[in-house]
Amino acid sequence: MALFITKRLLMALATVLVVAVLAFLLVHAMPGSPGAVSLGAGASQEAIDAVNQRMGWNDPLFAQFCTWLGSAIQGDLGISLIDGRSVSADLASRLPVTASLAAGATILSAVLGIGLGVTAAVRGGALDQAIGGFVGLLVALPAFWVGVLFVYLFAVQSSIFPATGYVPFEVSPQDWALSLALPVITLAVGGAAFIARQTRASMLEALQQEHIRTLRATATPTWKILYVHALRYASLPIVAGIALQFIGLFGGSVIAEQLFAMPGLGQAVQTSVSTHDAPAVQGVVVIATVVVVAVNLVLELATKFLDPKLRAS
Amino acid sequence: MIPSMAPAPADQAETTTAAAAPARNAGRAAITKLSGHRLFASPGAVAGLVWLAALVTASVTAPLWLPFKTEDQDFTAVLSGPTAAHWLGTDELGRDILSRIFAAAAGTLGTSMLTVIVGVGLGTILAMLAAGAGGRAEGVISRVTEVMMSLPGTVIILAVIGAVGTNIPVVMAILGILMSAGIYRVILGQAKSLQSQLYVDAAKVDGASPLRISLRHVLPGLANTIVVQAALIFAVGMLIQAGLAFIGFGPPIPQPSWGGMIQGASQHVYDAPWMMVPTGAVLALTVLSANAIGNALGKAPNAAAPHLPSTAARRQRAKAVAAIAAAPVHVTKDGAPDGETAVGTLSVRNLSVGVDSPGAGNGVRLVTDVSLDVEQGTVLGLVGESGCGKTMTALSLLGLLPSGVSVTGGQILWNGRNLAATTDKDMEAVRGREIALISQEPMRALDPMFTVGYQLTATIRRLRGMGKGEARKEALSLLEKVGIVDAAQILKTYPHQISGGMAQRVAIALALSGNPKLLVADEPTTALDVTVQAEILSLLRALVKDTGMSVVMVTHDLGVVADICDQVAVMYAGQVVENGRTAAILDSPRHPYTLALLAADPHANHADSMPERLATISGQVPQPKDWPAGCRFAARCQFAGSACLEPVPLLPSGAGEGLVRCVKADQLAVEGMDWLATDVPASRLLEITPKQTLLTEKDMA
Repeated sequence: MALFITKRLLMALATVLVVAVLAFLLVHAMPGSPGAVSLGAGASQEAIDAVNQRMGWNDPLFAQFCTWLGSAIQGDLGISLIDGRSVSADLASRLPVTASLAAGATILSAVLGIGLGVTAAVRGGALDQAIGGFVGLLVALPAFWVGVLFVYLFAVQSSIFPATGYVPFEVSPQDWALSLALPVITLAVGGAAFIARQTRASMLEALQQEHIRTLRATATPTWKILYVHALRYASLPIVAGIALQFIGLFGGSVIAEQLFAMPGLGQAVQTSVSTHDAPAVQGVVVIATVVVVAVNLVLELATKFLDPKLRAS
Repeated sequence: MIPSMAPAPADQAETTTAAAAPARNAGRAAITKLSGHRLFASPGAVAGLVWLAALVTASVTAPLWLPFKTEDQDFTAVLSGPTAAHWLGTDELGRDILSRIFAAAAGTLGTSMLTVIVGVGLGTILAMLAAGAGGRAEGVISRVTEVMMSLPGTVIILAVIGAVGTNIPVVMAILGILMSAGIYRVILGQAKSLQSQLYVDAAKVDGASPLRISLRHVLPGLANTIVVQAALIFAVGMLIQAGLAFIGFGPPIPQPSWGGMIQGASQHVYDAPWMMVPTGAVLALTVLSANAIGNALGKAPNAAAPHLPSTAARRQRAKAVAAIAAAPVHVTKDGAPDGETAVGTLSVRNLSVGVDSPGAGNGVRLVTDVSLDVEQGTVLGLVGESGCGKTMTALSLLGLLPSGVSVTGGQILWNGRNLAATTDKDMEAVRGREIALISQEPMRALDPMFTVGYQLTATIRRLRGMGKGEARKEALSLLEKVGIVDAAQILKTYPHQISGGMAQRVAIALALSGNPKLLVADEPTTALDVTVQAEILSLLRALVKDTGMSVVMVTHDLGVVADICDQVAVMYAGQVVENGRTAAILDSPRHPYTLALLAADPHANHADSMPERLATISGQVPQPKDWPAGCRFAARCQFAGSACLEPVPLLPSGAGEGLVRCVKADQLAVEGMDWLATDVPASRLLEITPKQTLLTEKDMA
């Protein structure tokens, strides 16, 4: 187990490093040098060259990457070309927004998805078909369209939730929750559908296992067969599905943050890409990767812990 | 930009589990052929095909029929709903929404196809390479795809857009590369199982090149999965592309895009909510269509039936049970009179088991008119080839027939109570406490997620109402009773940590935990090594002697019958063809099928009299739907005659209390004819043409 964890940690580190290199190369392929971007249109070529020289833009790529990596390890992701603020500080203030969004949406979709999937598998018949149809529809609906619909229903027609904006938890927990409600539900719709399908398929597979017949032959009550034994067996692929979902929702937050004007990482990616703000793009790609890889690692370890075969070895 | 970069799981087990937990399912991925039939059998998929075809046609021909140019602005009708001039309304600049939707369609569909081609192509090639090479190469490719799957794909795509700009075809192609990892994982398991097929080995021996093997033998088997994945990726590609356009990374400005149009609509959700309906609906319908096609093709054709039927299936079963309970009891002359009670005896009377049919009529019958008797403390063997209905008969005793199969007639009298008419709820009081089950594969009969100790103590507590400590003591003593020496140690293990023979002992202990009076053993030794088989049999024999319980032993092994059974019932094609005392049947079999089984059994022939060549039974057990009205064995019988085309009753065999279902039984016994190992002289054979056997029982009824 210790060996397994060490291996996975090394894998995770390698993943982050690969993405860092990738992001670095992509950023260098962006049109416009840092000088041109930060000074804006109309700046003289001399001024642009001076800025580029100061920022080390003309150094060999490998040297630049090492410099960046050196400061990144110390928590310094450079300075935004647009507003001159520290990228690390900016991202640190944005991370909680996206984290609450993605975590909220993952939890909500897991609860809804597992509920729907288990119900479909256990009840069968017409209810199973109805849930299957409903879930198929949810999978096909674009998240942003659903988001606009929710704004229309809950913010325009009835002002239950605020249409846009984010209230930090420290300011008011209640408003924080209210401001998160619509974006979280928007993101959770597709996620719940995905997990519902995964759950239904895994539950059905579990119920086809022969040990279920043994349990019935020893008079195990139906609820216990379903919710202790079958669900336990099905939990491995379900947790794997939730891990995949978190990756997707973390990315999906770009949409939700744009739609609901939330100052999160997604919004940062969107603006920094539009403005060619190289350090910001690179920083946000790396941070997003670190978060996703870390959460994945935890969920993977959880999966291994759930499986007696892997736990023992 | 939908919640996942991974394709939405298809609506069935095969693809889904493979996507999320490839390791567990890798080897058994069902190879399904690409089939138009499955596609056209699904109304959703047909509707999807029609919609996609219409959409493609409409968008390709758009310049010819569109009422407006995409940039035509009608300032008299800004933000209008549907009107005669603008069927789907207009946007904030008075542009016709219908025209813009169809003008944007070709580009959206085309670039999404690009993602499909790159993603599915790359994923398939990688999977075939990995499956062909195996070993290290597979390990490396799998590691790389694992890393790719754990990346925040959306964020990376945005960084790519930063570098290459909103060049949609390039962006969609790179998206394809990112998504190929997920496709690789789905296809790998199947490619590997195809690579391990015998015909692939044969091709390798013949010297076929790896490339030729991949293209000729592996690729065709992957076709269905590839098409399924392509359809699902197509849908995801469209959603992601629309999502990108929604956040402002769509095609350059004057060009319409679905995502961009929904973005525009979202700005007017306060004053013109209608605007988001047409574009959203078209996008959703297109995605829905692609998913429906993928799901229809991806549906596993023969999903195994669940061992715990769904609520809906249980309701169906309850109806069947009620019908049995209400049906008038029909007792044949060989049957014991209804209601005769003797403790610990089982009397099955005219039992029929059939597949549930969706309509009003009866489905295929699997077991017909089976009668058996088991007295207390005796062992009854149910013998026959695979598919003769012996397991179905055995499972019906516990009310544990698989989903979709139920008792259609007859009685199962246990201590005088008809179990065939007992509800599932009431059966719970019988299962484990009175009738217990041990099955063929002990490893699969135990729950892999729980320790032996938990499974055993939980069962003992439930069946005997004991406390925790007491149940643990009982578990230890049960394990010792079934011959496990280090019982305390075994209690702590998980099923995968013990051997098959050990697992079968645990399964027997589990079955004994409710002190049952009858044990149903479904081929309990088949999956075990020969030496372990003998141990398990002698354990069962000792248990019968010590506890006085009865056993119904399902087996195809006449050695097992000779070893342990007091009575034996030989089954063929859903019927009992001969029954009686074991000694009588093994010494002087009356039914040609029993004769044939004995002649074909190497162990039944003594070493000194071992024939040069073992007998065989030509042909196969007929499928239940092909059972003839007459003798069901006639088509394979060396002694068949014209009398065999009539239904054959079960008659006293003349040997003790035995019964036999053969019109020629007496004649055979008198003439002392044997089942011949050599080719049968034609003079002894009756021509049974298919035409004659066409008269099925259904027609007779």
